[in-house]
Amino acid sequence: MRKTLTVAWREFRDTAMTKAFLFGAIVMPIFTIGLFIIVIPLLQTEDEPLDGTVAVFASDDVVTELQLLLIESKSPLQEQLEQLPEIVTQDPIAKALLTQTTKSTITVESIDETTANEMKSLVLDGTYLAYINVPDSLVQSVDSEQELTVFIPNDFANDHTNFITRNAENAVVNARLKRQGHDPTTVRALLKRPNATTMRVQEDGELAIDNEIARAILPIAFIMLLWIAAFTSGNYLLTTTIEEKSNKVIEVLLSAISPMQLLGGKIIGQAGVSAVILGMYGSAAIAGLVTFALMDIVTFSQLGLFLVYFIMGYFMIATMMVAVGSAVSELSDAQSLMGPMMLLFLVPMMLWPVISQHPYGSVAITTSYIPPLIPFVMIIRMASATEPIMMWEILLSIGVGYIAVLCMVWMCARIFRIGILMQGKPPNILQLAKWIRQG
Amino acid sequence: MTLAIELQDVSKSFGDTKAVQHLDLEITQGLICGFLGPNGAGKSTTIRMIMSIIHADSGSINVLGTTALAAKDRIGYLPEERGVYRKMKVGRFIKYIANLKGMRGSSLHKTIDDWLERIELPDVRNKKCEELSKGMQQKVQFLAAIIHEPELIILDEPFTGLDPVNTKLIGDIINELHHKGNTILFSTHVLPQAEEICDRIVMIDNGLKVIDDQIDTVREQFNPNIVQVVPLHPNVDFLQFEGVMNQGTVNKDGEINLYLKDDACQADVIGNIASTIPIRGIQVLQPTLTDIFIHQIAEREGSETAEKTREHLTNA
Repeated sequence: MRKTLTVAWREFRDTAMTKAFLFGAIVMPIFTIGLFIIVIPLLQTEDEPLDGTVAVFASDDVVTELQLLLIESKSPLQEQLEQLPEIVTQDPIAKALLTQTTKSTITVESIDETTANEMKSLVLDGTYLAYINVPDSLVQSVDSEQELTVFIPNDFANDHTNFITRNAENAVVNARLKRQGHDPTTVRALLKRPNATTMRVQEDGELAIDNEIARAILPIAFIMLLWIAAFTSGNYLLTTTIEEKSNKVIEVLLSAISPMQLLGGKIIGQAGVSAVILGMYGSAAIAGLVTFALMDIVTFSQLGLFLVYFIMGYFMIATMMVAVGSAVSELSDAQSLMGPMMLLFLVPMMLWPVISQHPYGSVAITTSYIPPLIPFVMIIRMASATEPIMMWEILLSIGVGYIAVLCMVWMCARIFRIGILMQGKPPNILQLAKWIRQG
Repeated sequence: MTLAIELQDVSKSFGDTKAVQHLDLEITQGLICGFLGPNGAGKSTTIRMIMSIIHADSGSINVLGTTALAAKDRIGYLPEERGVYRKMKVGRFIKYIANLKGMRGSSLHKTIDDWLERIELPDVRNKKCEELSKGMQQKVQFLAAIIHEPELIILDEPFTGLDPVNTKLIGDIINELHHKGNTILFSTHVLPQAEEICDRIVMIDNGLKVIDDQIDTVREQFNPNIVQVVPLHPNVDFLQFEGVMNQGTVNKDGEINLYLKDDACQADVIGNIASTIPIRGIQVLQPTLTDIFIHQIAEREGSETAEKTREHLTNA
């Protein structure tokens, strides 16, 4: 066991304690998250205040409404931020941004009917920010075929264009409402849709709040974690095995330890790498949940079961990767064997919509007991299900999954023993099957 | 007499190729034995089977009274195909292999430093393996094979790629280890190297053992009946002397090999020549391992194959 752990420590140290790993698996994700946080403030720099005069040819009530709207309205960025879901706007960073956005100073100048050509030149030379033409028939009738026209300079920012256009449209609607004797603020308030809370009635008569966010986010988050952590270390297993073969160091190792000790050490060492990645991304995810006050969407039992399925998934991926790595001499040769394997792992991704929509459907239940798919399918099911998956189903899938892991380790060991000393032409799937029989 | 290695009727095939056929081998402890033969003879396959890296199709293998798998920590092995972790530092690489061989403790660092000094690589400890030349890498690997002071040392072509100075250095260390009582089995296709070091030789060709004896005994058994003469003047016809069957060409040192008839007496021929023509020297030619090996092949497979093998060995 000591020799196996020596191999495991070397595998872990030479993978996880390198600049490449620190950069690829730690610095880059942090950098990406940091970039995401920084991008929003950077957008703020684009949120230039809109100062100037807007020329309007419209009836007086429309001009007045527009004036009011522009005084009360917020900057384009502020409006966009306010449209974000509540969980996002509660975030301290978003809150800070909302209070920091700039305020525009726009005056509205009512003008007499004039030719479009004259106004175009005035807009172009910067005399006016924009020119808005509102035919009165538009206010009088919703069936009017005439159009509200907004003239802006060619280099006018999209946000500013939307800002002016939206306020002009709202001014027309407000004017219509007032002409009909209604208060626009009251009408808009009345039109605001209430938020519905879905309560699912459990079999025991209890009620449970249907958390759509959890059902949408959790499977994605869990699968992403499994995929990133297990496949990253699986990939390292593949490349280090091929490297040991191509460096010819394998025979030196096999003179000191048995193939099984080498295989065990490699898988344990990379499991450590996988645990580091899982810990890092997992803590980032938990930190995110805490930040957005969403910790209640995930339960400890879900986390525990995720860990059980994660270990299962890691061993399935690791044994396949190390078997392929031991069978080939070049990374390029690994592609032909990796193709079918990757397709297998893509099946749950392709079935995701079906499984998440119908977590108790026949597809979901059937694929829950097909070994390489088990961890992925069960995670999707558990996270998408509106009521807990039956315990016997979970236990059965864990049992089948871990028996499959043992079989895969056994098959991998037999391939590893033969393949690790083989050089030259890579084997095909049939030859691998033959090695399993011979090994 | 305790056996370090014992092979009984061992065979191994790869597909249709019979790499090793019915090989019996007994190497007593404390012996230094050359395992000889041309490339592709089956030496490395046999060594890999002894090391339990690959398994024999049939027969039994016993190493240090058990299997190689159980005795790995007592065996040092330098494989034919050299390999190091390219990005790993030399000191760490040796330490890693030593750890795998069961060596631990704080004295290991000093042992590594002492040995690096001994193989004349005192400043490479903190260099990456890839920064070393091929010859230096080979010395590092040799060190990794013997650092744990194993009872049995198996070296597969240990001198390949080394310059004469380093060949002598490694040869001296091998002799030193032998004198300490370690059993050493080393394979080579460069037969003169084995001739210098070994007590005993085992020759194989096409997977079959052709010679297995003490080196002096082998020489005694194989008497080519050749007299080498250095005449003062060239163009002498030696066939005129009684007992001379054939005359070789003059080599660059002016030496001519005279092949005597089976019943000819070497002493009579030498006396006759020395008293008849002016010569600078004359002697009975001692057979080299190459001669012996070629003779064996000629007997089994004919002279054409033997000559091809001689060319192969000369060019190696």
